[in-house]
Amino acid sequence: MYAQPVTNTKEVKWQKVLYERQPFPDNYVDRRFLEELRKNIHARKYQYWAVVFESSVVIQQLCSVCVFVVIWWYMDEGLLAPHWLLGTGLASSLIGYVLFDLIDGGEGRKKSGQTRWADLKSALVFITFTYGFSPVLKTLTESVSTDTIYAMSVFMLLGHLIFFDYGANAAIVSSTLSLNMAIFASVCLASRLPRSLHAFIMVTFAIQIFALWPMLQKKLKACTPRSYVGVTLLFAFSAVGGLLSISAVGAVLFALLLMSISCLCPFYLIRLQLFKENIHGPWDEAEIKEDLSRFLS
Amino acid sequence: MACRGGAGNGHRASATLSRVSPGSLYTCRTRTHNICMVSDFFYPNMGGVESHIYQLSQCLIERGHKVIIVTHAYGNRKGIRYLTSGLKVYYLPLKVMYNQSTATTLFHSLPLLRYIFVRERVTIIHSHSSFSAMAHDALFHAKTMGLQTVFTDHSLFGFADVSSVLTNKLLTVSLCDTNHIICVSYTSKENTVLRAALNPEIVSVIPNAVDPTDFTPDPFRRHDSITIVVVSRLVYRKGIDLLSGIIPELCQKYPDLNFIIGGEGPKRIILEEVRERYQLHDRVRLLGALEHKDVRNVLVQGHIFLNTSLTEAFCMAIVEAASCGLQVVSTRVGGIPEVLPENLIILCEPSVKSLCEGLEKAIFQLKSGTLPAPENIHNIVKTFYTWRNVAERTEKVYDRVSVEAVLPMDKRLDRLISHCGPVTGYIFALLAVFNFLFLIFLRWMTPDSIIDVAIDATGPRGAWTNNYSHSKRGGENNEISETR
Repeated sequence: MYAQPVTNTKEVKWQKVLYERQPFPDNYVDRRFLEELRKNIHARKYQYWAVVFESSVVIQQLCSVCVFVVIWWYMDEGLLAPHWLLGTGLASSLIGYVLFDLIDGGEGRKKSGQTRWADLKSALVFITFTYGFSPVLKTLTESVSTDTIYAMSVFMLLGHLIFFDYGANAAIVSSTLSLNMAIFASVCLASRLPRSLHAFIMVTFAIQIFALWPMLQKKLKACTPRSYVGVTLLFAFSAVGGLLSISAVGAVLFALLLMSISCLCPFYLIRLQLFKENIHGPWDEAEIKEDLSRFLS
Repeated sequence: MACRGGAGNGHRASATLSRVSPGSLYTCRTRTHNICMVSDFFYPNMGGVESHIYQLSQCLIERGHKVIIVTHAYGNRKGIRYLTSGLKVYYLPLKVMYNQSTATTLFHSLPLLRYIFVRERVTIIHSHSSFSAMAHDALFHAKTMGLQTVFTDHSLFGFADVSSVLTNKLLTVSLCDTNHIICVSYTSKENTVLRAALNPEIVSVIPNAVDPTDFTPDPFRRHDSITIVVVSRLVYRKGIDLLSGIIPELCQKYPDLNFIIGGEGPKRIILEEVRERYQLHDRVRLLGALEHKDVRNVLVQGHIFLNTSLTEAFCMAIVEAASCGLQVVSTRVGGIPEVLPENLIILCEPSVKSLCEGLEKAIFQLKSGTLPAPENIHNIVKTFYTWRNVAERTEKVYDRVSVEAVLPMDKRLDRLISHCGPVTGYIFALLAVFNFLFLIFLRWMTPDSIIDVAIDATGPRGAWTNNYSHSKRGGENNEISETR
C-alpha cells in the first residue's frame, strides 16, 4: 500500500518535523524514535545500610513508647518505687543535659542563645506546676471507665507515632501534635495509678522520654552516628528486656516488629526500586521554576 | 414505501453515475468508506478538536466518502442536524458529566450507537480525543460489533501523577485492540505509544491544518508601533504566569511596545493586576473571549505572536499567526519545534528571561527590517498544512485498516489480558464479554434486518452528492436529458 521511500544518489534521512513532506509513510518508525526519552533522572539511589540507619529513628520512637508502657505497668503493679523512678529520671536528665552540650561542644547553645539559667527556670516551673496539679490529674478521669482510658491511651500513643517527625518531609508531620498526644496518653494512664505522687512522676517521665530524649538522640545522630547506633541498640534491647519481664509473647512480637522495620522494610524498598521507571521527555508539561510573584508585589 | 422510494433513488443515481463515468471523481478510487466520527467535543462547543473533526469530515466528503458525526446533546441541540455538504451529525441525549464529557457506564450507549452503526452502514469508527468518554465507549462497542476502529489523539499527557496513571491505563485498554491510531505530531506519537504501550507502527503522524484563506495578512490593519499579540485561553497550562512576568519587563525596556491579549480564563485577574500595577492601560489591551471568526482580525493587528504554553501537542495558534504574517515567538515544549521552520519561529525555554530574549530578538529583527514581508510568510505557511492533505493521509489510514481483519472475540480477550496487565485485563475482558452478551440480547430484541437503513446524505450514493454533482455538471445533465 505504501510506496517505498525513493532513494536518490544519497539516502534521504527522516526528520522530526511536520512542515516538510517526507518520502516516508505516516506510520514510519525511525531509529531515532523515542531518542529523547529519559528515565529516572530525578530518582535517588538508596543504599541498604543507609536506609537501615535512617530507620533507626522509627526504632527509637517505638522503643520509647514500649519503655513508657512498661514503666507504667510496673508502677501500676506496685513493683516500682516512685521515688526510685523520680531519682533515676532526674539523674538521667542531668546526664543528658550535660551530654547535650558536650556532643557539639556548645555550638548549639551559642546559636540558640538559651542560657542555663533559663533552662533551670523552665525545669523548675514545669516541675512545680506538675506537682501542684498532680492531685487534679489523679482525679481528672475518675468517672471514666478504665477500658475507655486504656483505649484512649492506645490511640494517642499510635497518633504520637504517626505524627512524629522522623526527618522526612511529610505533610502529616507535626511535632506539637505528636508531643501533645503523648502527654495526653500519659495523663490518661497516670490517672489510674494509686496516688498523686505516682501521677506526678509518670507525667514527668513522659516529658523526659517523649520530649527530651528525642532531642538528645537527634543531636547524637547528627554529630556522632556511631554512638547513636550503639545507643539505639542498647535502647532496643532494654525495651525488649523490659517487655520480656512482663510477657514473653509480647516481647517476641515486639522484637519481630523491630526487626521487620529495621531490616525487612529497607530490603523491600531497595528491591522495589528496581522496578521504578519515571518517564521524562519532550511531552512533559514545562514547569515554571522562577518566582513570578515579584512582578505583582 | 419510503424505503422502496429510497432504493429507487439509489438505483437511479447509480445508473446516472455509471453513464458519466469518464469524468467522474468516484471511479478514480477503488473504494470509499462509511466513516463515523465520534467525540464528546463538537460544535456548538469551540476548540481544536471540534474544528479538526469538522474540517476533516468536510474534506473526506469532498473525496467521496460518506461521513457522519456522533456527539452528545448540547443543551437544546438534540437529535439529527445536517451541516454543509450534507454532513450528518447525531446529537445523542446522553448526560454531560464534566467539561462537555459524558458520563460512561460503558454499556448505556450501546443501544443508541448500535442503531446508528447499523442504519448508517458504518464500516469505520473514528474516535477523537483521549478525554472523550463517548469516544472510548464507541471504540469499545465497535470492536464488539466487529467494525474497524481508528483513534486520533489530540493532546499530551504526563506519567507522574495519579490521574495520569489512571487515564493512561484506560487508554491502554481502549487502544490495545484498535486498528490504527493517529497523532498530530511526532512528540504526540511518542507520548501516546508510551502511555498506551502500543506498537509504534500502528501509529500514524498526521498533523492538524489551518484554512489559509481564513488567515491572511492585512497590511492596513497592522499597527504602526510594535505590537505583540497573544491569543489563548488564560489558564495555567497556557503559561499565563510567564506572560505576567514578560509584560512589565518588555514594556519598561521598549516604550513604544504594545500588547494585545485575546482570550478568557481564570488567570485574567493576574494580567489585570500587572496592568494596574505598572500603569499600562494604554499599552496592554485585554480583549476577553474571542469568537473564532474574530481571531484573524486580532492577529493581523500585530507584528509578533507570543505563545507561552507549557504543553502542546501541535499548537494551531502559531500556524494561524504565521499564516497571518506574524513573527512567532514560542516556548519550546511538546510538539511545537516540529510545527514551523526555524526562520519563521523563535523557540525559547519556558522562562521569563528566555522568552524576553526571544522577543527582543524578534523586535530587533523587526526594527532592522530583516523579517520577510507578511505576504511572503503567508505564501510559505499556506503550503505546509492543508485539510485536503490531512484528509488524503487519513484516507490512507482508512484504506489500510479496511483490509485488516477485526479481532474475533477470543483473540480480543487474549489481547486485553496479555496487554493491559493481570488485574485490569481480566476486568475489562469480563466487561467485553458482558458487552457482547448485551449485544446478542439487543440483536435478538431488534434484529439488524428490521432496522431501517438511512438515506445517505454523503458518499457515492448520497443525496447531496447527486445534487452537487448535477449542479457541477449542468451540461452533462442536459445531455443525459436529451438522450432520454
